[in-house]
Amino acid sequence: MSAHHHKEDFLFKYVFSTDHKMISKQFLVTGFLMGFLGLVMSTLFRLQLGWPGESFEVIDMFMGSWAEDGVMSPDKYLALVTMHGTIMVFFLLTAGLSGTFSNLLIPLQIGARDMASGFLNMLSYWFFFLSSVIMLISLFVEGGAASAGWTIYPPLSALPQAIPGSGAGMTLWLVAMAIFIVSSLLGSLNYIVTIFNLRTVGMTMTRMPLTIWAFLFTAIIGVLSFPVLLSCALLLIFDRSFGTSFYLSDIYIGGQVLEHSGGSPILFEHLFWFLGHPEVYIVLLPALGITSEIISTMTRKPIFGYRAMIGSMMAIGFLSFIVWGHHMFLTGMNPFLGSVFTFTTLLIAIPSAVKVFNYLTTLWKGNIRFTPATLFSIGLVSTFITGGVTGLVLGDSALDINVHDTYFVVGHFHIVMGLSAIFGMFAGVYHWFPKLFGRMMNNKLGNVHFWLTIICAYGVFFPMHFLGFAGVPRRYYTNSEFPMFDNMIDINEFISMFAILAFFAQLIFFFNFVYSAFRGPRAPQNPWKGNTLEWTAPVEHFHGNWYGEIPHVYRWPYDYSKVDANGDYVSGEDYIPQTVPLGDNEKDGGH
Amino acid sequence: MSMENINYKEEVRRKTSKPLLWIGIVSIIMFFSGLTSAVVVSQGGGSFLKIDLPFAFTISTLIIIASSAAFHFGLISVKKGNLAIAKISVLVTLVLGLSFILTQFLGWVALYENEVYAVGSQSTQESSYLYLLTALHIAHLLGGLISLIVVLVKTIKERYSVDNMLGMQVSITYWHFLGGLWIYLFFFLRYIIA
Repeated sequence: MSAHHHKEDFLFKYVFSTDHKMISKQFLVTGFLMGFLGLVMSTLFRLQLGWPGESFEVIDMFMGSWAEDGVMSPDKYLALVTMHGTIMVFFLLTAGLSGTFSNLLIPLQIGARDMASGFLNMLSYWFFFLSSVIMLISLFVEGGAASAGWTIYPPLSALPQAIPGSGAGMTLWLVAMAIFIVSSLLGSLNYIVTIFNLRTVGMTMTRMPLTIWAFLFTAIIGVLSFPVLLSCALLLIFDRSFGTSFYLSDIYIGGQVLEHSGGSPILFEHLFWFLGHPEVYIVLLPALGITSEIISTMTRKPIFGYRAMIGSMMAIGFLSFIVWGHHMFLTGMNPFLGSVFTFTTLLIAIPSAVKVFNYLTTLWKGNIRFTPATLFSIGLVSTFITGGVTGLVLGDSALDINVHDTYFVVGHFHIVMGLSAIFGMFAGVYHWFPKLFGRMMNNKLGNVHFWLTIICAYGVFFPMHFLGFAGVPRRYYTNSEFPMFDNMIDINEFISMFAILAFFAQLIFFFNFVYSAFRGPRAPQNPWKGNTLEWTAPVEHFHGNWYGEIPHVYRWPYDYSKVDANGDYVSGEDYIPQTVPLGDNEKDGGH
Repeated sequence: MSMENINYKEEVRRKTSKPLLWIGIVSIIMFFSGLTSAVVVSQGGGSFLKIDLPFAFTISTLIIIASSAAFHFGLISVKKGNLAIAKISVLVTLVLGLSFILTQFLGWVALYENEVYAVGSQSTQESSYLYLLTALHIAHLLGGLISLIVVLVKTIKERYSVDNMLGMQVSITYWHFLGGLWIYLFFFLRYIIA
């Protein structure tokens, strides 16, 4: 590609860009804005949960007529819980995480000038943007935002007259999600085809960084599962708006029998969780890929078990499609079928344990450089273990029944999916910030951000397991009406205090992010001395990524601290970029 | 824009057009798998009544098979350099595609006259599924028709040749897929709902 690329005007450079790096930044900024709103929502409803019925100036200020005298109303509480879940799962951790890093890293790490189709890629972002806007508008319609929880089970979500949030807010939720699914599919299409077809010379599949493998599996899972969610949402739209009976049967509401017959809400759960469970790995795998890359680079060691890492991601991806029933143990499922789902679910522990083992063995005796990215990666390993262990409890039908729909579940999935994924995302942002913005983030602020975040995160989610054991149900507006939970109120207060502190800790990150993007010190081309191809591209961004020819690849990406027979570094330094040809008698790693 | 740049873009197009389509097809297959599985799960509820499939749907099955054959004939003609026949074949494909939609519509009219309704309080699960599956197939067929029109214009302008027929190949793959999808749906409806 010519160095003197044609001059792009503002609109096409920053708005309707087809350059994967710009689209990546668009996903990042939109995802973070949505994530920030999700964070504010959770902080507000934690105030209600910690001090139920108490009046707060801050709630009055932010929620106005939604909270008379500074006390949040029950329906607005439900709306906030629903929107928090929706935003965090889909908008921040699906589109924000995958959209940012798949877009940034796939072309740069495999050696391509851009995605297979820049146009589809642009469409993917703009559908995501449109979906975000509609989701936000839904907060301000009559009756308020959707309130049936992020899983929007019918009949609550299917009958517009059920609760205030089942009206226009729910309709907009479904519209927004349908558009979101299209966005996600267009993105995934591009990621898969780019990885399979546009790798540079020498970039065999087994020389790809683990990030790329993770993005590939994520995209494949997305292509297979999101269309099923679309079919699920479509049937719900018909039930809500056109009087069909896919999910509804013989329902009384306000003393009236509705004219629906024959349907079953359990059908919704089957369709929803067929996406819903793979969605967990759509959120998690990119974070695991990012962590693999960062831990190897920052310990200056090759990743332990490269092939085992790929194999375990493949196994996790496959298993994710045959475990959805573990969300439905209490739907009257045949206990034998339940035990089958228990078996497949518990199998996931094996590839997950392989990954954890490999992270720990890579860290073991490594020459670790503790950047914020390293810290967050290690944080991910920690939360992945903590949350994974409670997954064994929930995956086993006999145990799950006892804690179903309690705070135990909330604690489990926030740690294993929410925290792990967001830690991976933070790690990725700190690590690839120089690539995204050409500047460095402040490490000191990053370290403070990490320590506050991980302490608060455990402070918030760990005690929830005890609430769950005591039987405290999730999603309730208040637990102060039940005498048996009276001695739990201190725990709720404790959790809320950490939640508030966690909120302020994130402000440090946002400040660091915005300040560094404009005023941070200029980044060198290869700040972490990494091997992968993105660090061979110039710091400045232009469409096409490399001046002149695309670099060729001669080795796998994890040749860190490679020594010869005498114990000296092969290249004289502790890293060998993928573009350096193999020496005489030198073997390629990873095989 | 430099020559090298254009060549690279052309190479990307050559390498990625078909895979993009194939993975798109996979996602459409998952979409219809989700819906037809939903039918099977709903049927497990035990309240399904049989609906007589209108004869028009049988005709549309024959039409869509014929349209695939015509399109294929057009592709072979381009390969042999016989553009005159290719133009006629693609035109015939388009006409058959439109006739398919027409016969589907006639099928709906017949259903409606038999008091089988898509939505509303008199609809049943099986009737709603019947309309929904056929309508969603047509929604996907519209994309195929748009690409068919593009191919027709390009064939008339004689843009295709043995070395340059990627657009036509992509379009024909999608068209065959739509035909296959309809045949699946037809037999599915015939033996599950009807």
